[in-house]
Amino acid sequence: MTKHSNPVARRAVLGALLALGILAVQSPARAADLLQESKKRGVLRIAMEGTYPPFNYKDPKTGQLTGYDVDVAKLVANKLGLRPEFVATEWAAILAGLAAGKYDIIVSQVGITPRREQAFDFSRPYTYSQPQLIVRKNDRASYASLEALKGKRVGVGQGSVFEQQAKAVPGIEVKSYPAAPENLQDLAFGRIDAALNDGLMVAYLLRNSHLPIKAGARVGAVERMGIPFRKGSPQFKAALDKILLDAANDGSLKALSIKWFGVDASRAPASP
Amino acid sequence: MTELIALLREAAPVMLTGAGYTLLFAVAAMIGGLAIGVPVALMRIAPWAALRWPAGLYVSAMRGTPLLVQIFVIYYGLPSVGVEFTPVTAGVLALSLNSGAYLSESLRGAIRAVSEGQWRASFSLGLGYWQTLHHIVMPQALRIAVPSMSNTLISLIKDTSLVSVIALTELMLATKEVIATTFQPLPLYLAAACIYWALSLFFEALQRRAERRLNRGHAGR
Repeated sequence: MTKHSNPVARRAVLGALLALGILAVQSPARAADLLQESKKRGVLRIAMEGTYPPFNYKDPKTGQLTGYDVDVAKLVANKLGLRPEFVATEWAAILAGLAAGKYDIIVSQVGITPRREQAFDFSRPYTYSQPQLIVRKNDRASYASLEALKGKRVGVGQGSVFEQQAKAVPGIEVKSYPAAPENLQDLAFGRIDAALNDGLMVAYLLRNSHLPIKAGARVGAVERMGIPFRKGSPQFKAALDKILLDAANDGSLKALSIKWFGVDASRAPASP
Repeated sequence: MTELIALLREAAPVMLTGAGYTLLFAVAAMIGGLAIGVPVALMRIAPWAALRWPAGLYVSAMRGTPLLVQIFVIYYGLPSVGVEFTPVTAGVLALSLNSGAYLSESLRGAIRAVSEGQWRASFSLGLGYWQTLHHIVMPQALRIAVPSMSNTLISLIKDTSLVSVIALTELMLATKEVIATTFQPLPLYLAAACIYWALSLFFEALQRRAERRLNRGHAGR
């Protein structure tokens, strides 16, 4: 679209970028705590990807959102006495939408990272998970760690914490994919040597993809997944943390985890 | 083969709903784009600089920036200055503004293609500027503009896939949702392509009708 790049167009682009910069600085300054605001509304607006099984996806039979994250979000909304309202948003725009106040929380396996914590507040972690490699079935080489993949091509999800982990290891050629199906297809074709994804997702991927691939080693650091919301709502954070802590203690979070993953991901693994 | 049919049958309800939204967006944005494009074209050929200038800036900005950024700014950027839209409004608005710029250029070119002599002949018969535009120039210009305006309108159908970033489940996002659970990208993307093509064929038929109608006075060519 920028075929005709004349000075006027360039100036217009510059102006637009400047305007964007100003918009980004002026974060919405709402006074009330998110807790009061959502109670007044009676509705908790929850964003998730909707294309990330088994965490959150549309059931092909019913067309309804379902998965682990949906169950957790419903639990949270119930405890808050609010009606859950789900918004399916692409991962690429999901944090921008939260910043713009399009919804109250994201329950979509958002990893807690220092950079994200600068922009948003997080609940206490509700999922702990370790990245896991996926390799071709006929691949005789075995990779015990990310370092062993030096000089190899590794596929990851765009903007994911796995992308950051793979990029942190020098020598790995990182290829980013919009979603897991494309990533695994390329792995099966031999265009990449390994895929790195959430260890909790691997079992599901292997069962449903019908591709000649197998699970590899668990590598890298344990990721903590939390629920992000806008800054400046201490009461909402306290309420959310209490709900998640209670759910972890009374076993209901564990039950959900067992239901969707077959393992308990509600607490940090003892030995990484 | 039977597996493929089963897959498509499973995907059909979701994808056809998505296709419905795609068609809705495309038609709404076509109407919006035409409603913006025609006045902008007239502004750009107007004898007054005060009209030409803003129209020129608008066309330049819309053509010079990615549609994805425009959608983002309208939906995620404007709320921070107090302007809030629903996803549907924001999507239709962004597509209309974008296609309006391209349509106005097609139309401006077509108006310019009508020879200057037509204007002078009309003025000499005592018709005013707007009368000349309405009765003499526009009927000829529209005939010239239909093919290139149809280009813009038909590519608009595919541009609707970009509104999925603002949480709208149109055909492309619906396809991705099915792919996420079935892991069959190729057949499903091909199916989506067929649906887009079918929608385009419908609008191509409209284009042919429009061309026939506008060419009534020019039989034999």
